[in-house]
Amino acid sequence: MSNVDRREFLKLVGAGGVGVGAGFMLAESAKHPLEHLIPYAVPPEEFSSGVATWYNSVCGMCPAGCGISVRTREGRAKKIEGNPSHPVSQGRLCALGQAGLQVLYNPDRLSSPLLLDGASGSFRPATWVEGVDKVAGALSSARNVVVLSRGIRGHLAQIFERFAGSLSSANLLQYDFAHEDALYVGNRESFGIDRLPYYDIANTRYLVSFGADYLNGWISPVHHSLGFGTSRQGGHDRGYFVQVEPRMSVSGASADRWVPANPGTEGLLALGIAQQIVAMGGYSGADRDAWTSTLAPYDIASVSQRTGVNDDIVRQIAEGFMHTRPGLAITGGAATRHVNGVNTAIAVNTLNYIAGNVGIEGGILFNPAAPLATTGEENRGAYESLANLVTHAENGSIDALLVYDTDPVFTMPADSGFREALEKIPFVASLSSFMDETTAMADVVLPSHTYLESWGDDVPEPGVGFSVGAVSQPVVAPLYNTQAVGDTLIAIAAHMGHSDAIPWASTEECIKDGWRQVHAQGGSGDFDAFWRSLLQAGVYGRNIRDTRAVSLDPTVVAGMDANEPTFSGNAATYPFTLHPYTSMRMHDGRGANLPWMLELPDAMTSVVYSSWVEINPVTAEELGVRQGDVVEISSEHGSVTAPVYVYPAIMPDVVAMPVGQGHSKLGRYAKNRGSNPLSIVAAQTDAKSGSLAWAATRVSVAPTGQRAKLVTMSGESRELGRNIVQTTGGAAGSAGHSAKLNSIPIKVEAV
Amino acid sequence: MVLVALAGMVVGYWANAAFFPGTSPQQPIDFSHKVHAGDNEIPCQYCHVQARRSVSAGVPSVNKCMGCHLEVATDRPQVRLLTNYWESGEPVPWIKVHDLPDFVHFTHKRHVAAGIECQTCHGAVESMDVVSREAPVKMGLCLACHRENEVEHGTDCWTCHK
Ligand code: SF4
Repeated sequence: MSNVDRREFLKLVGAGGVGVGAGFMLAESAKHPLEHLIPYAVPPEEFSSGVATWYNSVCGMCPAGCGISVRTREGRAKKIEGNPSHPVSQGRLCALGQAGLQVLYNPDRLSSPLLLDGASGSFRPATWVEGVDKVAGALSSARNVVVLSRGIRGHLAQIFERFAGSLSSANLLQYDFAHEDALYVGNRESFGIDRLPYYDIANTRYLVSFGADYLNGWISPVHHSLGFGTSRQGGHDRGYFVQVEPRMSVSGASADRWVPANPGTEGLLALGIAQQIVAMGGYSGADRDAWTSTLAPYDIASVSQRTGVNDDIVRQIAEGFMHTRPGLAITGGAATRHVNGVNTAIAVNTLNYIAGNVGIEGGILFNPAAPLATTGEENRGAYESLANLVTHAENGSIDALLVYDTDPVFTMPADSGFREALEKIPFVASLSSFMDETTAMADVVLPSHTYLESWGDDVPEPGVGFSVGAVSQPVVAPLYNTQAVGDTLIAIAAHMGHSDAIPWASTEECIKDGWRQVHAQGGSGDFDAFWRSLLQAGVYGRNIRDTRAVSLDPTVVAGMDANEPTFSGNAATYPFTLHPYTSMRMHDGRGANLPWMLELPDAMTSVVYSSWVEINPVTAEELGVRQGDVVEISSEHGSVTAPVYVYPAIMPDVVAMPVGQGHSKLGRYAKNRGSNPLSIVAAQTDAKSGSLAWAATRVSVAPTGQRAKLVTMSGESRELGRNIVQTTGGAAGSAGHSAKLNSIPIKVEAV
Repeated sequence: MVLVALAGMVVGYWANAAFFPGTSPQQPIDFSHKVHAGDNEIPCQYCHVQARRSVSAGVPSVNKCMGCHLEVATDRPQVRLLTNYWESGEPVPWIKVHDLPDFVHFTHKRHVAAGIECQTCHGAVESMDVVSREAPVKMGLCLACHRENEVEHGTDCWTCHK
């Protein structure tokens, strides 16, 4: 060591020091991080750490009203399942329902009241006292107030009604983009019923769906999927499924027969099938002659020519529908969003009526009155009522708008002028839970609890054929400084000096009070026991059915000759029909801020995280575009861009786009992702229902020269000889016994 | 020089482990298991009531502590600390001493039901003023015990890692 000089020595000391330090830090980093063990100060009665507590409630993610069971631990919701005793969901749940947790825990949830700071134009957090004071102040001096919300069902609707009643002049308006207005009006005109009937898919043997994607989002997807499974594999004769639509949906892909028909002609086809059935002697009512003459214009040749469906196919469906009992025809989705939407609904009702499917199991069953006194459907407004709101706002006759959990700025077409109208309203307050496009334009935001933190009750719509009501209860304590929407309305009314207008101190009391009445009409035992068991079950039913006999008058159909769909935009400049479609993933756009929904591959294209436009391969070749080429889709009212997805199962003159993305707000996951086809549709309505004809716009498609990487889960949608999709021929059994099967049986029975 | 640095690392690592083991962290209240479980012979499950019912043994809620301490030893400074928490309605932010990694599924309920003494894993808590992690609760300990008692599926991976 004698050759270690001073310099070398210092080096070694340095190296040793660094080593010791590094070793120390290494040991430090290998240690378990400090964790806390925090007990309750006073634990809730049923609490047991480490043991899950389940609560039954109602899904709030779409208006179907499935029953849920939520697993909670240590006061946190962990997993949502279906409530097995709820007749709508029967223990099942759709993906959007599962993602309810991501609404609850969403990092972009509004966590406290916000006030718009006039000078900076941005929001600043405020207290509830400040916020309520501001809203109450603005409402007291307003002459005309509009309370705009999503559809409010159950007793909560009474708080809304009484709140509006306490103001000098207020309109209640409930708007959901996906609400099937045309079906309601169609049912009223055909049968004189106000609620949706029960579509008994489970027991049907022959289903013809005119555009209703009942497996992927249409009105009650969980229940209809269950029904589909039962009809197919329920141990009786297998049901046969026909899907009529210009673009193959999930239901189309699951059907036995997919029939592309010109957009908007679905009703014509239904009447054509009905005409055939009458002609073949399948209808024996006393008014047979009247029907024969009423349906005469829908002879097979003209229907086939107008719908683009081969006459053989029309005949085959007519025969199948007539001879396979029971049968069921349904319609909805884009098919009822044409200018003749109600006519289509009536046409499909007619087909059911002619084929004898009304009021029978496996067909249409009417829903009896709910056990609850109110269903809340009474204040429903179609698109037209929002268009009226625009007119009134523009001429300055609306002073204040209260909006809750509906986002018309996103779902209304730009052409409707809603955004501009909103800017003209002097005072806007939002009670929504997220900073969506509409809330972003508010002056005051008083954020509400999510459905997992609130009290409520519900009458599922469509019902299930007997009398059902359900209760939703908070499954966790509120995460943030938010309030139940009903409590906020009560607080505002009280602040304005109208505390006697709403007789309940809280939403919970209102709901409980409503169920006291239900209990008084035949609940067993004392109310507290009834309430306890009601909350445990989550659902309450009475075996009451609506067996009224209805008849459909031929004059209803005779009066609707203007059946031909019309489109906005001329065919020369805008050669394609835009077919926007909704899905269970995004619903009306509310799924776009939920990462689970974004990363869930679309069921048909397997695209994740973005929007796309589906184009037929032939059309794509004509346009000179390939998969992933970004194209501009333009209507007379604007344009959006999206990458091409080459989709063989779409008519060549139709282009389809999924609804739900293309948000400019709604939080980090939704913002600036994808594009919104609704923004370019024309603001034209179906005159009979006043609903937006969002499937009746023509567009042009032009390449932009750019490319985008479409993230798909399937590398190639064609089979390319890999024999990965095995099918049986159309004529079952004709392949005979000599065909080689690649399947492997579980066991072979000894003969 | 590299050798010197490496040697230094070993020394540093050892020094950390020896002098800063982190197995008995400073708690918000100097709670003594010796006084409660040892001198006063309060059974473990009187306070850790969940142990026989749940995956986690649970720590007593503040109102459980106050069940006794409204009356007992109310003038001791540490009990005063507790009373402060109680009066302000706050929980006591205890720090975990025994903690398994998240990839280990351990349930107290099963082990209590099988008659395993708490001390097998937690050490002689009743003699500790300050609880520290004494038994090496690592996979070896679990496996040795499972083998010795011939636990059904006791050495399968997915029994603990699931
Ligand atoms: S269908 Fe609607 S109500 Fe039912 S689970 Fe899905 S989102 Fe919820």
